[in-house]
Amino acid sequence: MALDFSAIYPYLHMLFKGASITIQASLFALFCGLVLGIFVGAVRVAPFGPLRSIAAAYIYVIRGTPLLIQLFLIYFGLPSLGLNLPAFTAGVIGLTINSSGYVGEIVRGGIEAVPKGQWEASKVLGLSYMHTMRFIILPQAIRNMLPAIGNEFVTLIKESSLLSTLAITELTMVGQQVRSVTYASFETFIIVGLIYLVMTSITSLALQYVEKKWTVA
Amino acid sequence: MQNSLNDKPSTSAPALEVRGLRKSFGSLTVLEDISLSIREGEVISVIGPSGSGKSTLARCICRLEAIDRGEVLLMGDRIDGGRHSNRDIARLVGMIFQQFNLFPHLSVIENIILSPVNILGVPAPEAEERGMALLRRVGLADKRDARPSELSGGQCQRVAIARALAMNPRILLFDEPTSALDPELVGEVLDVIADLARSGMTMMIITHEMLFAKEVSDRVLFMDAGRILEQGPPEDIFTAPKLPRTQLFLQRMLAHVGRELVEAAADERRFSHGS
Repeated sequence: MALDFSAIYPYLHMLFKGASITIQASLFALFCGLVLGIFVGAVRVAPFGPLRSIAAAYIYVIRGTPLLIQLFLIYFGLPSLGLNLPAFTAGVIGLTINSSGYVGEIVRGGIEAVPKGQWEASKVLGLSYMHTMRFIILPQAIRNMLPAIGNEFVTLIKESSLLSTLAITELTMVGQQVRSVTYASFETFIIVGLIYLVMTSITSLALQYVEKKWTVA
Repeated sequence: MQNSLNDKPSTSAPALEVRGLRKSFGSLTVLEDISLSIREGEVISVIGPSGSGKSTLARCICRLEAIDRGEVLLMGDRIDGGRHSNRDIARLVGMIFQQFNLFPHLSVIENIILSPVNILGVPAPEAEERGMALLRRVGLADKRDARPSELSGGQCQRVAIARALAMNPRILLFDEPTSALDPELVGEVLDVIADLARSGMTMMIITHEMLFAKEVSDRVLFMDAGRILEQGPPEDIFTAPKLPRTQLFLQRMLAHVGRELVEAAADERRFSHGS
């Protein structure tokens, strides 16, 4: 059987629309997850013990459970507590929380990879904890973290396909719809896969650029 | 010889005083009943085998380690409690690390002025001017904008010394400042330290460079197993140590060096302050 993409063409605009939903959800979760994750990671290494434990537990639970279950809990579980969220909102919140757990762990690793001598030199030069973080540790930690953060972004875009289980019309969901009308399964999902590949490639390239810029500066 | 280097009144108040200091890590006692006093302008070398607690002593003095018992006074002020901020301590005591601990993401001049500008509130142009003066003093004015990764170990350590001096501390602690250096780079760092000694800086130098300790210090402390076993003028300690433990240590250290090497090193370091 030869591949015939012509059946897909009339539906391409639908796929692109789905891709734009994927991009919206991913960008949103990426940004919020990064902010929340840096916060979680910073708390994870804070000098105050109880806070540190809470952040550690948060990261542990997020990383130890499937994203799919986290999404189900938010979308199907929360209504039983009287909290009904629209599918898109629930999806983005789920992705954000999930991503923040991973980013938090990356931030922790990045901070801990800065040699102890940097803390000691800072202390002896009179810097407070906050000053040391700001001037000495974070600038070095971010450099350590960039490659892993890049990976996390790419992962996030791919995993956003799970939002299709909440009936959000993102790329994967639209792909299934297109397949069900065209019956061209192989062709449809090749196109869907290619669109994902383009999105992840652009993200990777952008991050490589940032990484290079940051290390030279 | 030492008196020609440092003409300081022996009656001045102690810059540093340690009384009955005890420090342990878990069940391991690293320092036991340490008491010592350093006059302003005095240069003290601390020698002793690895693991004798020398570094821990320096780290306790600049509060990198909390002490279990005893008192540490800088310029007559007790700093072992929690009352002093890092900033307060930094104005009293500076520390030079074996591994330099320069900030790799900052240029040489940024390393030097970071703390004066952000912690002491010195205006940036003023701090930079002073930083450049310090760089000239350690012979690295041309490295102003270099990154630490572009410098040799000896140059890094000289920058670290300039960085410590930029805070204008009353006393400088050196924790084996040349132990991480290639042998041919040791001399340039020792030159800078000797120059500081001549200028009247109060210093405590932990070192394995016996000849240097002998040349530069007013007093030498010998530590072993967490205690100060013997102390006195370098002539006494190096030529007529009282304790067998000290004798044994010096024998080993000096045998290590070899006679010709000794002479060569001494010449190279240009210690031409005989008589």
